[in-house]
Parts: sequence; structure tokens; C-alpha cells
Amino acid sequence: MARENGGRSWLGAAGSNVWYFFNSLKLTISVLISLAVVSILGTVIEQNKSAGHYAGVLGAKWAKVVMLLHVNNLFHSWWYTALLLALAANIVVCTFERFPPKWKSLLNHKQEKFDPRIIEKFAHNRSVSVSVDAATANARVGRVFKKMGFNVITSNDGGDHFFYAWKGALSRLGSDLTHVSLLLILAGSIIGSYAGYKDYRFINVGDTIEVPNAGFKLRLDNFWIDQYDTGQVKQYNSLVTVIDGGKEALTKQIWVNEPLAYKGIRFYQSDYGMAWDKIDTAYIAPVKRKTGDTGAPVPVKWGTEEKLPGTRYSVKVTGYLSDFAYDEKTNSVGSLTPEPNNPAVRIEIYNAGRLISAPWIFLKYPGIFPAIPADQDVDIAFTNYKPTLYSGLSVNKDPGTNIVWAGAIVMGVGFIFAFFMYHRRVWVHVKETGGRAEVRIGGMINKNTLLFEKELCEIAEYVEKEGKKT
Amino acid sequence: MILSLLFFTFSFVFYVVTTLLYLGHWAFRKKWLGQTATAMAYIAVFSTTMILIMRAAESGHAPFSNLYESMVLFVWATNVGYLVLEYKHRQRVIGVFVMAIESLAMLSAALLPYKFKSVEPLNPALQNKWHWMADILRHVGLEKYAIGWLDFHVFTTFIGYGAFAISFGLGIMYLVKGYFEDRGRRNAFVDIFPDTSMLDELSYRAIAWGFPFLSTGIISGAIWADYAWGTYWSWDPKETWSLITWLIYAAYLHARVTRGWRGKRAAYLAVAGFLAVIFLYWGVSFILPGLHAYA
Ligand code: HEM
Repeated sequence: MARENGGRSWLGAAGSNVWYFFNSLKLTISVLISLAVVSILGTVIEQNKSAGHYAGVLGAKWAKVVMLLHVNNLFHSWWYTALLLALAANIVVCTFERFPPKWKSLLNHKQEKFDPRIIEKFAHNRSVSVSVDAATANARVGRVFKKMGFNVITSNDGGDHFFYAWKGALSRLGSDLTHVSLLLILAGSIIGSYAGYKDYRFINVGDTIEVPNAGFKLRLDNFWIDQYDTGQVKQYNSLVTVIDGGKEALTKQIWVNEPLAYKGIRFYQSDYGMAWDKIDTAYIAPVKRKTGDTGAPVPVKWGTEEKLPGTRYSVKVTGYLSDFAYDEKTNSVGSLTPEPNNPAVRIEIYNAGRLISAPWIFLKYPGIFPAIPADQDVDIAFTNYKPTLYSGLSVNKDPGTNIVWAGAIVMGVGFIFAFFMYHRRVWVHVKETGGRAEVRIGGMINKNTLLFEKELCEIAEYVEKEGKKT
Repeated sequence: MILSLLFFTFSFVFYVVTTLLYLGHWAFRKKWLGQTATAMAYIAVFSTTMILIMRAAESGHAPFSNLYESMVLFVWATNVGYLVLEYKHRQRVIGVFVMAIESLAMLSAALLPYKFKSVEPLNPALQNKWHWMADILRHVGLEKYAIGWLDFHVFTTFIGYGAFAISFGLGIMYLVKGYFEDRGRRNAFVDIFPDTSMLDELSYRAIAWGFPFLSTGIISGAIWADYAWGTYWSWDPKETWSLITWLIYAAYLHARVTRGWRGKRAAYLAVAGFLAVIFLYWGVSFILPGLHAYA
């Protein structure tokens, strides 16, 4: 029993110490400055390189320190995350501690009666004495506040007239909105890093891919590059179709800066190139073996059979390799690189519907092996091709993004409140003595004291001079 | 290139002359010198506006797409900010410091190598336009002048930079005046600075403008990055430095509002903040590698 109690109070004490620790505005400034300083490290030391890279640049000893402290991936290190979480805890605790009293004392604060002597105590105050009666002076005070958009409450106590006026109280909420927005942005980024993914997919024109972790497919209908007159690249474009439940759900042209969004997953134009294992069309020509004369080439689309004029044969393109290589050990073929260094196509040759040969033929080495060994007269050459382009799409899912944007909007509103609205409170006391009205005006503003000085001047002047003008 | 270059040359001269006039006003305290200086500052801002308009006409897109154009935008924003400040507070001495910063900025823009100046068509990643704006402008055939998040990003960021430049000038003035006052020394030139309390307040006001604009700039940059790359934040050096600068000014605001830091310490933070801006703007572009070619 006793131990339980002891345990509880120990916990309670620790809890209140933690609370106390985070209820500190000094901590805020320390964390802000610490984040600024350590972030510099993350820009000076290149991020996400290998240990060897750091050893080369900084020397073995410092490289060890870098790896040990995760400076190589600083912004995702546990201690950088801890600093951000400390900032969040700081905000939560400070808001809990400060917001309720602030709400009470400032936002619902309406002071009908007050001791007129407080007016002199304000850093900003004015006194004017006008030769009118109290009623006229009161009317002027009322009008000038109305003109300037203040809220006013008034009261009388015998010959003493009190005005309490305020304006721009929302300004006080600005910092709170800003802080809430930071929490939203942090929350959004955390959700994104756990529930989102980023992936790349290369799709040949005409192909369809299965979208990772989603119940639909994506087909690339076309890819093309726009150019300026000067030849500089203007834009990379992909025409894509979403296929959902076996049906075409939507078709959209995407380009850099214009992603496609479907069911929370977005597709971005990020890369392109020529396929290394497929072409659009091969140009195939008959060759007279005796003379070496090459006839007119015939365009043969991938996968379709085409007649070769002047011969008995028809051909079909069934394979392509951009950098053909033959591996003796495994007796297989492959492409050494994705570059078209040694383009080769595999064709199937038919005679009256019967497959008679299926050779690889080479763009750069025509005739090194006869395409149809049994035929002494006719050979077949690969003279040119139209590549199949592929488009590199980045596939993203980040369910936190919308929370981040919501945070951004809240921050914007918070800034408008905090920086472009000012909370003024003005106390006015009017008393008639000897046929003159003594008007004392004083008050405070939460920021922008220069503006407040001017406004007080304006109020005083209005009370003093308005009678003369009209 | 011709008209914008012409206006650039004019503007450069105007800024130098304006600076000299403000200096003259400071030294000789002739009212007419001050008035002429202000008039010149208006002429300079008009001329700077013309550079931007001509660039837009020549390139067919918003004039914020390379280092040179962004320098002009910086000078423009700083000058507009200063003229507002002068109109509201009638303190021409501040003009000496602000215009000196602007002349230096014009000089550095003029000295940029050609490749940072030339009118280039936009590369694919920079082509980001608001559809709704393009749709509206299409009716009058001006579709290509539609702007997007990128332009908005650069524009708001540079208003922020301009405000920070002004707060830097004011911070320096504060420190100079404070230095003389602390030692009980009098100096005719320093005496006509505004009061330290006013310098302090104005410097804060400038930051209170700069901070929300810088924040808007960072956020709109994130929105653009999200459109272009699918990641709103990738910790590249430019982004990180903008965060660093933002954190410094956030610390400034908190130190001031919640811990009552005024005067000297606040002025030092304001100066530090602008040094971070300079690094963010030039240092990162030339020293650290990253995605942002400029700005
Ligand atoms: C990057 C982080 C932060 C940003 C950008 C930020 C932003 C702001 C802004 C814009 C203001 C209003 C300043 C002004 O009125 O001039 C403010 C005030 C304030 N902030 Fe923060 N804040 C941050 C973190 C924090 C944290 C962690 C705390 C922790 C408690 C905190 C506590 C306060 C308080 C108490 C005020 C004064 C409120 C008032 O006077 O009405 N801030 N903050």
C-alpha cells in the first residue's frame, strides 16, 4: 500500500517536473536556436552518402563521428526528431497553461468601472480639456470610437463617465493558431512518413502496370517531348489511363508539374528513356546474297507478321536487345547496357505459314550469320528501327499531405491575426469641472506601439477639435 | 533584352544618385536635398518596375526565373517597403542605409556573369501555372502570362527578403546609435538618427512583415515542390537554409514578445537573421549543391 502510494507520488513528481520543464519559453528559444544551428550541419555535410565518402572527405575519425551521431542522415536521426517533438511538447504544454487565463483576462475582459487613476499609469495616455459640457464630450468620444471601429462599453457614476473600448482582440489568437498549425504540420509529416510511400515505375508505351498497394492499374498510352523552337526541352508528357475494376476509369495527360491523382495515389512525370527490350517498329529488308544488294526495307511492327516483297517469306519481330551479348557459359543472350550500343532483333521467318527460322539479326553487323541457312539466295537485314519510349513515373502516396496543407492554411490565418491585427484597449474617463470637460484617455496595445500613439493622438484631437470643424 | 537592359542601367544610376542624395541630406540637413532624395527613390522604383515589366515582355513569363531577375525583384521589394516606411514615419536618415543596400544589390546584379542574366525559356520543372488564371487570361489572349505557385513562391519570398533587409539596416542603425549613447558620446550624424526606441520598434515591425511573407514563400515553395516532384519537403540545402532563417526570426519574435528582448540583443538577432538571408540567397546557390539554381 505504502509502496504504491510512494510509487504514485514519485510518478506524479516526475510528471510535474516534465510538465514544468516543457512549460518554459526559455526552452522554446533554446530549441528554436538549436534546431537552426544543427540544421546548418545538415547542409554543410552532404546527406545520405556512404561511410567511405565521409572518410574520404573528413578523414576516418570524423567519419566515425558522423556515422555514430547519424549526421549522415541528420534530418531523420532520432535526436533531430526528438528536438522537433520537444518543440511540439513545448507548444502543447504552454498552450494548456497559458491559453485559458489569456482567454479569461483578455478576450472576455470587459471593464465597465475602473479607477480613473489607472489611466495615468499606462505608457500611452493623453489628457485633453475642452470647453464643452460632459454630454457633448461623451458624444464625441462615442463617435470617434465608432468611427475608428472600436467596441465600447460605457457607464456613469454621478459626474464620472467611463468608457472602455477595444478592437482587434483576435490578434491575441494569432499566436495560438500559429502554434496549432505547427502541430498539424508536424502531425501531417509524421503520418506521411509512416503511412505513405514513394516508388518509381518505368512503363513502356502501351504497357500496363499494377500500381503498388492499390486496387487498380495504370496504362501508358503515349509519351512525348515538347521542344522550343531552339530545340531546348519544353516539357515531358505522358498520356496515362487508369484501369480500375477492369474498366478505363480516366485518362489524363501528365507532365512535370501536373501529376495525376487517383484514390489518394499520385503519379508524377519524373524520367523517360528508350526501352532496352522492346521496340515499336523494325525496318527489315531482303538482301540478295550473291550481290549484297539490299532491297527496300519494310516497316514491321512489334508482334505483327509482314510480307517481304520479292521473297517467299514473311517476318515477325519477337525480341529486341539494345546492347546484344551472348553468354557462352549459360548459352543465353542479354543486353549489356540499356544503351543502344549493339541493337539486335529476333525475328521469326515464315514460309507459307511455316516457321523456318528464328535468328537474331544485328543492325551494325548485317550478314554475319545468314538469317535463313537453307536459302542460298536470300538473306534478311535489320536496317533501322523506331524505339519504344518508356516513361518513368514516380508513384506516391502521402496521406499526411492534406494535413500539412490544412496546417498551412491555419498558419496563414494565424499570421494575419498575429501580425496584421493589433489588440488595443482604451480607457477613457470624462469629468466636467467648471464648465469644461476633462477627458483622460489611456490604454495599451499588444504590439505596434507607434500605431497606437497615432491613434491616441487622433482620438484626443477629435475630442478636442471636432466641435470647431462642424 | 534591350529595353530591360536600358532600364537596368538607368535604375542602377538612379539608385546610386538616390543614395548620394540621402547621404547629402544626412550630412548637410538641407530639406530640399531630402525631398529630392525621396523623389529620386520614387523614380528609381518606377524604373525598377519597368525592368521587371520589360523582362516579362521579352521572356514571355513572370520575371522571376533567374538570379539576375530575382535581384531586381529584391531591390524593387526593398524600395517599395522603404517608401512605405518613409511615408509613414518620415525618417529620411534610414534611407541612407536602405539605399546603400540597394545600390550594392544593383551592383552585384550588374556584375553577374552572363549565364545568370540571359532570358531563357522555362525548363519543364519551372512551368507551373494556375489553371484558373490561365483560363481567365485565355479570353484576352494573354494566357502565357498566367503565373503559378512558383512565381508566387519567389514573389512572396522576396518581399520577405526586402523587409529583412530593412530590419537589418535599422538594426545596424540601432547598434551604432546605442554604441554612442552607451559611451555618452555625442555625434552630430548619429544624433539625427531616430530614437533608439523607435529604431527598435521599426526593426521589429519590418520583421513582423518579413516573417509571414517568408513563411508564405516557404509554404508555397513546398506546394510547388509537391506538384513537381511529389514531395513537399526534401531537405535540400536551400530548403534547409530557409528553415534556418525562419527559425532565427521565430526565435527573434519569441525573444521579443515573450521574454522582453528589446534593443541591443534584438538588434543583434535582426542582423544575424539577415546574414542568414544573404547566405540563403547567395551562399547556398554558389557554395552548396542543390535543386534550386537560384533564389
Ligand atoms: C517554430 C516554432 C514557432 C513559431 C513559428 C511560432 C510563432 C509564433 C508567433 C508568430 C507568435 C506571435 C508573435 C508576435 O505576436 O509577434 C508567437 C508567440 C508566442 N509563442 Fe510561438 N511559435 C513557435 C514555437 C513556440 C513554442 C514551442 C512555444 C512554446 C510554448 C511558443 C510560445 C509562444 C508564446 C507564449 C507566444 C506569445 C503569445 C502572445 O503574446 O500572445 N511558441 N509564436
